[in-house]
Amino acid sequence: MRKGFVVLLVGLLVISSVLMTTAGSTKAQEPKVLYTALLPGDVKIDPSLASDANSITMLNVLYVGLTGLHDETVAIEPGVATEWTVSDDGLVYTFTLAQGVSWVHYDAEAGEVVQVMDEAGAPLTLKAQDFVYGITRTLNPNTGSEYSSVLAPWVVNGQESLAGEAVELGVKALDDYTLEITSPQPAGFLPMLYGLWMARPQLQSVVEEFGDTWTEAANYVSYGPYALKSWEHDVEVTLIKNPFWAETMYIPQAKIDEINFIYLEEPAQLTAYEAGELDWIATVPLADLDRMRAERSDQLVIGPGQCTYYYGFNVLKDGVSNVHLRRALSMAVDRDVIVQILNAGQVPAGFFTLPALAAAPHQEDYPDLAIWSDAAKAQEEFQAYLADEGITADQVPQITLQHNTSQAHATLAQAIQQMWKDTLGLEVQITTQDFAVHQETMRFDAPQIWRLGWCFDYPDTHNFLYDVFRFVGPDSNNHTNWENPEFQALLDEAKTMTDNAARAELYAQAEHILVYEDAVMIPIYYYTSIDLTQPYVVRTYAQTGNERFEKWDLSE
Amino acid sequence: MSASEVVETQPAPASQVVSLRTVEKTRSPWMDAWRRLRRNRAALIGFVVISLNVLAAIFAPQIAPHSYTDQNYTALNSAPSWIIDLFPKMKPLGAEGGYVRVNDDYILGTDNLGRDLLTRIIYGARVSLSVAFIGPLVSLLVGTMFGMIAGYVGGRVDNIMMRIVDIMYAFPTLLLVILMMVFFRSSLNQSDPGTLAFRLNEIDSRTGGMIFIFIGIGLTSWMDTARLARGQVLSVRQKEYIEAANSIGADTPSIIFRHVLPNILGPIVVAESLAIPRYISFEAFLSFIGLGVNPPTPSWGSLIAEGSNAIISYPNQAIFPALALFFVMFAFNFLGDGLRDALDPRSSKEV
Repeated sequence: MRKGFVVLLVGLLVISSVLMTTAGSTKAQEPKVLYTALLPGDVKIDPSLASDANSITMLNVLYVGLTGLHDETVAIEPGVATEWTVSDDGLVYTFTLAQGVSWVHYDAEAGEVVQVMDEAGAPLTLKAQDFVYGITRTLNPNTGSEYSSVLAPWVVNGQESLAGEAVELGVKALDDYTLEITSPQPAGFLPMLYGLWMARPQLQSVVEEFGDTWTEAANYVSYGPYALKSWEHDVEVTLIKNPFWAETMYIPQAKIDEINFIYLEEPAQLTAYEAGELDWIATVPLADLDRMRAERSDQLVIGPGQCTYYYGFNVLKDGVSNVHLRRALSMAVDRDVIVQILNAGQVPAGFFTLPALAAAPHQEDYPDLAIWSDAAKAQEEFQAYLADEGITADQVPQITLQHNTSQAHATLAQAIQQMWKDTLGLEVQITTQDFAVHQETMRFDAPQIWRLGWCFDYPDTHNFLYDVFRFVGPDSNNHTNWENPEFQALLDEAKTMTDNAARAELYAQAEHILVYEDAVMIPIYYYTSIDLTQPYVVRTYAQTGNERFEKWDLSE
Repeated sequence: MSASEVVETQPAPASQVVSLRTVEKTRSPWMDAWRRLRRNRAALIGFVVISLNVLAAIFAPQIAPHSYTDQNYTALNSAPSWIIDLFPKMKPLGAEGGYVRVNDDYILGTDNLGRDLLTRIIYGARVSLSVAFIGPLVSLLVGTMFGMIAGYVGGRVDNIMMRIVDIMYAFPTLLLVILMMVFFRSSLNQSDPGTLAFRLNEIDSRTGGMIFIFIGIGLTSWMDTARLARGQVLSVRQKEYIEAANSIGADTPSIIFRHVLPNILGPIVVAESLAIPRYISFEAFLSFIGLGVNPPTPSWGSLIAEGSNAIISYPNQAIFPALALFFVMFAFNFLGDGLRDALDPRSSKEV
């Protein structure tokens, strides 16, 4: 009995001391991992093809642009271009690239990030030619880049190239570290635009060797502060610190070793966060917002957003081809109630452009800029629609509203469905699709009404009106099938000007056509950003919508 | 000689039938079953619960305290005091760490659009109970007909018909229904006016999305019944009264409907009543994954789906629709059990 007790005691001591030493030693070696989640909808980490916020955030740490935006001030700052000059006419931009930026690749067998070697066995570094290849690939119509239409007007021969003509693009490598981009027109935001993901360098040898599969983790190359460690489609993505990243004043070496993104629906994200499995989530389900305010007010940060939430019309479809019906639907949406339901400081939107952007028109200066909720006028417009078509209220064709699957979208859709029913007596059917399917549907056969949001890529009104609605077709961001020469002329004119006040004047007129005269979209509200972060995460709050993980850290 | 015997004996059964009829007046087999059913307490409770639900579904506009579409934006996600007392996690606004709006106008609280939960549960009974009655109906009509024809005609026809059933069986039912719902919802939506698909879609959107659920469930639920019916027919076909009917020259349809059908209906009714909970859960499942009824039509499945998104902050939004589903499924199970005991005296405890 006594002997047994002693043995037990000694055994316990040995076990506990072993446990303590192993715990101590592993702690020193254990990598710092940030666990976070993404809403379902697989990312596209091909710089030419990315178009959604998740992919862009990842690309910003995998591929650094020529220029970047400071995450908190949204001011332009150097990326991999150390400096740049503009010709006097504002057309020719010459970028000087940082030297010694290595292309890297995660070697799964060795378990570490390694440099990509050329045939001679020397490390391959980032060169101006990689930019020329990347931009050329984006502007090649066979690539199918959604953002090509954003870049094309700002590169000489860009639109011709996109139309399939064999032309010489206005992008040249003067030498290995000097890149020259020529624009057909000057614009104040060009340095920011040339820093966006669709204008980033790509390694020709890798893209051509692996084709569509070059973005798989086994083949992927990058050069930013993080590299791609693993990517299990629709399940999770892991980024790993790139030790070869040459620190700059603006982009430091990453402090967090790995970032793990797992795809989870909103409620599951919060559950995992509350269980301590996630360190940061960028979304909180509507139903839990009040509880989070009460229970975790120190971790919940609600800040200004970068996006506009809107419903678009496919003007080729039954019913909504008539402007009076579109206007009636837009006016019948009570935006004040919507933001009341959303309950996180969102701002009702009467027009499309975010008011905080450069050259954005403001309601105070242009009183009839926007379309606002007005039940009486909505009914008038509805009657005008019925008279126009010569039909009675029960002959209105079936109208379908489609949104991508999410509880918040479903809640809003049902609120708006009810508003339409109460104000206009119109029963609208709601359908849902997964985000990827929803995007494809909108590109090729958009339903009558569809939900989308638009977030700025660079803080200029041009990025809202021109980049979304100037062009039409599956390779543009405009899924309305609507074209208006007057609207397009206004945007084209604003594009040639550099004075922001004068541009705002033209944009105000364009907005009025977009949301009121032709009413091809229903602006609903301006987003806010909602973050829940565990107290041990040392972080910045990006006002650009794209978090800069290389500046984050985890404290003990 | 034998032929004349048959002719001579013909009137005798007729008189027997008459004498049997007098007995029937006092105790028919169905009356007997009803008597046995009434004695089964669990079945009776099930019957009462279902009746109450049917009444609630029919008179929903009269008994529901609110409209199921009315949104009260000042009472988003509210809960009455008794629920707040019931769930200690739900702290009322004003208390420390409190976040729930207290509103006693809504007996079970409201959802994230300020819609009355009780009203939506009452209206949700309409969908569930319609499925509970339409599902077996389709299954009975299609399945029984199919099985009876196969079983009675027999031979090569039987062989072909039952292989069709086998092929249908090979499909995973749930997957098939999901595929069909996706197909209905996405492609019929875009059909041209005037076509059958367009009409179907129109009826569907008028009924809040129920028609496609009926079709989906109907198309995948008749095979069981068909097999059962065929098996029953095979055993009944050899019986003397069928031979008798045959010998007096009754035609096949009248034999099937007047002699075979009444005698095989018992087991089929029992099987169908036991299958009802499956139909209900089927609908709830479809609505839960968003392929069922169209919003804003409430169904228990879609209510549970919406509630489950808020289950930590507002547990009442998921628990009450789930309880409604639970009770009705139990009630149908009890009633089905009772019916089996009542209609099949051999399994009854009394004998």
